[in-house]
Amino acid sequence: MTSFMPLTTVFPGLVWAMAALALVQVARRAALWRVGAAAPVAWLHGLAQLPRRYLVDVHHVVARDAYASRMHAVVAGGLLAASLLTALAILPPLAGSRAYWLLVTVAFAVTAAGSVLVGARRYPVKQKRLSAGRFQILPVLLLAYAVGGTLTALMLALGAGGIALPFTLGLAAAGGLGLAFEVRQGPMRHAVAGALHLAAHPRPGRFEGRPDTALRPLDLGAPRLGAEMPADFTWNRLLSYDSCVSCGRCEIACPAFAAGQPLNPKRLIQDLVAGLNPAEPAYAGNPYPGGREGQGERGPLARLIGPDARIHPDTLWSCTTCRACVEECPMMIEHVDAVVSLRRYQALERAALPEKAIGPVTELRQAGDPGGRPLAARTDFAAGLDLPLIAGRGEAEILLWLGEGAYDLRYGRTLRALVRLLRRAGVDVAVLGAEERDTGDLARRLGDEATFQALARANVATLARYRFSRIVTADPHALHALRNEYPAFGGHYTVVHHTALLLELIRAGKLVPQTLPDLSVTYHDPCYLARYNGETEAPRAVLDAIGLARVEMARSGKRAMCCGGGGGAPVSDVPGERRIPDLRMAQAAETGAGIVAVACPSCTAMLEGVTDRKAEIRDVAELLLQAVEAGR
Amino acid sequence: MTRPRRDPRAERAAIQVAAGPRPRFDRSARAAGGRPRRDPRPERAGQRVPGASRPRYDLSQVVPAQALRGEVAVAAEARQPAAAKILVVEDPAFLVAVVPDAAGGRLSPHDRQVLGAARVLAGREGGILVVSVGPCEACGPAGADRHLALGEVGTDPDERAARVAAALAVASPRHVLFPESLDGGDLARRVAVRMGVPLFDNAEVVAAGGLVRPARGRRVEQRAAPGLLASVAPDAVADYAGPPREARPLAHDLPPAAEPASTILSVARIPADPATVPLSLAEFVASAGNGIRDLDTFRQLVAALHATPGASRVLCDAGLMPRHTQVGASGTVLAATCYFALGISGAPQHLQGVAGCEHVVAVNTDLHAAMIERAGLAIVQDAQAVMPALLRLLAREKQEAGEGS
Amino acid sequence: MRIAVLLSAGRHPVSGAAVLPRLEAQAIRIAAGLGTPVGLHAGPDAAAVADALGQGLSRIAHVALPEGADPVPVLAASLRAMAPDLVLAGRRGQGGDESGIVPYALAAALGLPLIADVVAVAPGEAAGTLRLDQSLGRGALRRVVVRGPVVATVHPDAPAPLAYAFGQARRGVIEPVAAIVPAGPAAAPAAVEERPYRRRPKLVKGAPTGGSAAERLKAATGEAGAAASGRLLVDPDPDEAAREILAYLRGIGVLAPPSPRPNP
Repeated sequence: MTSFMPLTTVFPGLVWAMAALALVQVARRAALWRVGAAAPVAWLHGLAQLPRRYLVDVHHVVARDAYASRMHAVVAGGLLAASLLTALAILPPLAGSRAYWLLVTVAFAVTAAGSVLVGARRYPVKQKRLSAGRFQILPVLLLAYAVGGTLTALMLALGAGGIALPFTLGLAAAGGLGLAFEVRQGPMRHAVAGALHLAAHPRPGRFEGRPDTALRPLDLGAPRLGAEMPADFTWNRLLSYDSCVSCGRCEIACPAFAAGQPLNPKRLIQDLVAGLNPAEPAYAGNPYPGGREGQGERGPLARLIGPDARIHPDTLWSCTTCRACVEECPMMIEHVDAVVSLRRYQALERAALPEKAIGPVTELRQAGDPGGRPLAARTDFAAGLDLPLIAGRGEAEILLWLGEGAYDLRYGRTLRALVRLLRRAGVDVAVLGAEERDTGDLARRLGDEATFQALARANVATLARYRFSRIVTADPHALHALRNEYPAFGGHYTVVHHTALLLELIRAGKLVPQTLPDLSVTYHDPCYLARYNGETEAPRAVLDAIGLARVEMARSGKRAMCCGGGGGAPVSDVPGERRIPDLRMAQAAETGAGIVAVACPSCTAMLEGVTDRKAEIRDVAELLLQAVEAGR
Repeated sequence: MTRPRRDPRAERAAIQVAAGPRPRFDRSARAAGGRPRRDPRPERAGQRVPGASRPRYDLSQVVPAQALRGEVAVAAEARQPAAAKILVVEDPAFLVAVVPDAAGGRLSPHDRQVLGAARVLAGREGGILVVSVGPCEACGPAGADRHLALGEVGTDPDERAARVAAALAVASPRHVLFPESLDGGDLARRVAVRMGVPLFDNAEVVAAGGLVRPARGRRVEQRAAPGLLASVAPDAVADYAGPPREARPLAHDLPPAAEPASTILSVARIPADPATVPLSLAEFVASAGNGIRDLDTFRQLVAALHATPGASRVLCDAGLMPRHTQVGASGTVLAATCYFALGISGAPQHLQGVAGCEHVVAVNTDLHAAMIERAGLAIVQDAQAVMPALLRLLAREKQEAGEGS
Repeated sequence: MRIAVLLSAGRHPVSGAAVLPRLEAQAIRIAAGLGTPVGLHAGPDAAAVADALGQGLSRIAHVALPEGADPVPVLAASLRAMAPDLVLAGRRGQGGDESGIVPYALAAALGLPLIADVVAVAPGEAAGTLRLDQSLGRGALRRVVVRGPVVATVHPDAPAPLAYAFGQARRGVIEPVAAIVPAGPAAAPAAVEERPYRRRPKLVKGAPTGGSAAERLKAATGEAGAAASGRLLVDPDPDEAAREILAYLRGIGVLAPPSPRPNP
């Protein structure tokens, strides 16, 4: 070998060959992404933002697992540096420099150390959340490339040569070319797809500090509504699924997975990947709980959902749309968008809603309320309270959006407490009364976009008739729809959660709560307030203002666990081994708090429904009213 | 005005205690006439729950004082009414016909209500004619003045309608009432089409001045003067409550209808299988809750009672019973005649599911469980012990019955 | 199999929105299991039944008819032209007289048998026959085999309606059909007076017609009946409890008496 080409050329040549192989593999992969639908992507902006998105936003998620963060910094940094430096050695001046080769040696040594860290997660025993399969050979390939590279570079640096060199170079070649080959359907795909995904992310707002969580409105005139097969997703979504690194953080966060319902977000994304690519290697992570192996046709035009297809309908309807998986995903994949796209096709084209969800969605479409109750009965909870209708006055400082919870006897108590607090603080508040239709949140999460859009348009038209400065609601689901999703239908409002308004009133001195120090409380974050809207502090500040002994659950804030009440999961009612609210109440019980404070009608209903529960479920407004009235 | 006039003087004399210079009266013995006098003290004693160290009372049951003193037989005898006089309308001014379902030759509760409605329309002068296909018992006590029993017909409902329409044409009543039941409503419409007259269906109010029915998905109600044909909604009108009437049988000489050959090839009745019937339709549901540990025995009991199995949410969540058996607000809301709750304390959501059940039998260890409160027959006992006892008893009955035949 | 489903202009009982009556949606579900059904509506406006396109129908034939006209002659003429093997209808159509008479009048006009309150329809064993399951309430059925064609009305215990699929609804078509026969003269306006519905208390079984006010109140509030005569046994012997339970169950008639039946 050395006879006709110097080693200082062959070694960099190896890296160039690796790059070429990787490029070929990416090109083969990209052909699959191109079957996806078109999507507007701001390429220049995305590429310019790429380093920031990677180093800030991705790091923020990865760093929650300190070991993984360190491991990734060492191995990825080392790999990139060593490969780049070696590639540059194709230039003769560098190739001749021993000092340069020493630098390369150090870079490869760092990579080798990182490879050991990677291997330690998988050998001798693999961490449970990680996938096996091709991921198990990743540390081997990395180690081969790194050790081979280290030794080769070291010998070049020392000027030593001889019989060992072909072996070390061969080791590096085996590892390096293996890694490059893996770019198409192996673990290394995440590096390329992940980088492209960060640049072409379908929700660029995520990286600009605003919670970009609103579902995109569906064009109801499109030839096909929702996603039936992989080709129905936009190409950058297909790309995003390819970036999945099978780390399993999503499945640890997923409430449905914890409850033994047949949903595993990692498996779902991997099934989308495998659905797109018939040659995809077999999935080697945790399965859908109680579920079955993927089966049926594969390919860009293969049906994804069905009892005989890759994804069982029960998997699709188990999702509570709580976004816990999205929050945890280091690759910034949008699982919930995928679930809703698939649901849209099922609901709009196939009418294949879960049997128990048909009733509520039908009533929503026909009567504007999922229970089919008279809209005028929404204000029945306020009998005896001074709660004016906005229709009689035309304007109000604050419009109180009641939501579906108003029909519920239990939640009526919370709303009564809220109205009394607002009255006491002298807030000019009014309600829509019989003119308030449901926001359509349930229909939208279940994929019935047509019903949602009809309700949204009707509500926007109603709200346009009145003047108010803010909308206040105690229902985070309504808040999310009104604040983030109605703008697409021409409704731009300032929407405030009741806990934020109550905090404002306390700070302004309009509500003067006494302290209730002998109560211990833990606050359960509603997904649609904390994760969808990033509001975790106001309710805690209110609880602190009334001097409660506040303890946090192991999972709280933006990483809190869902109560099981979102996304139509209660009406879909997919059987599992446990119930999500039971799990959440057990977590609350671990804190020893006597009261679980809530701020959402769904959470109230779900957590109150737990049998043998020791803690009381109280809304923040109820606790505040108790504190305010204690002063009298 | 049929009550005998009371003579207070004689009544007092009857209860006077003989001994003593001062007149004294024993009012506790007053059994004749009027309501028996209540004695709160023994009643309270009768409500006492045995077994508890502290006195505890079950206020939901009232044990009549007489029963405690062993006087109940006497009282019943004393109150035995004289055989009621049969009311005869010799020459009715007009007829109101009722075509009852009378399945199996007996009036259904709904049929009786229709007879009550017919009496409202007939008033004092009119007569009520029951037109039954096949025999029909006890029309008189239910309020019929005349009874026309048509011969049995085959399986084709059209044939039945033809027979009834022909009979009605002969009898020419002023009004004809049908029960708005499955078969009654069907017959009413067939007769209406055959006679070419409108039907005022599903009347919820029946008065001589007008009939009222719901319309437009119960958003409005329509009122009209009673026409020829009307059907009466279930549980809307009270039964006839007057003295029995004669139900004089009428002879008829209707020519046998010459109907074209029916295209109905066969008719078979498939009784509901309690084991598989949907819970919402079941008539008798036996349900297991947290107090049941041995579900095999429970399943045997359900089969032996010919009941439909149900369960509380806890059992379904635990996977011990299938999800479709869950009773309650989040499961199935029942419309059963009887609900037999074994080891169920009765959470509010569960009670919502059984709100529509007419009878509830509960077995539970907790005297203060909500289900015990709700039950018509409440047994404070371990359901786990009662289930084998029930099975033993049923098995013995079966054995005895087998020997008897 | 050619199937026609009669559609009426329903109203949601609470919101008053134009909706497909539930029974007709159930009829569509039954029909969709047998073949490709066609909807048939006679009335002033086809938009009232457009909902049905999302619930399993792909085609609706609409016969324009002035408000209040008798739909039976035009429906009969249309059905004669379509010659379906099965005509399904709800047991009481909405929007017209709502007396549930139209299917009967149609069956008479077409000379077809009518089977009321079916919950399931399947092809019979012999060609040209249909097997219809009539509801007798509480899950009991009467299975009728008929030589087609036949008119059938649907009972509420039939399988629940299919969900509404927006995507299918926008592909469905409503075909205007000219009335083949002149619409019958509008039925003489019956002397009915309409007013908002007032819910009336249901009769309570066993409620005393006379009795004291307190007794009637107890009966009306459900405190009577079972609960008033309620018996409470505390810690009885299990065997005694079993006897009591069986006696009670037999008393209310849900359990057969122990004596052997002559021929079960």
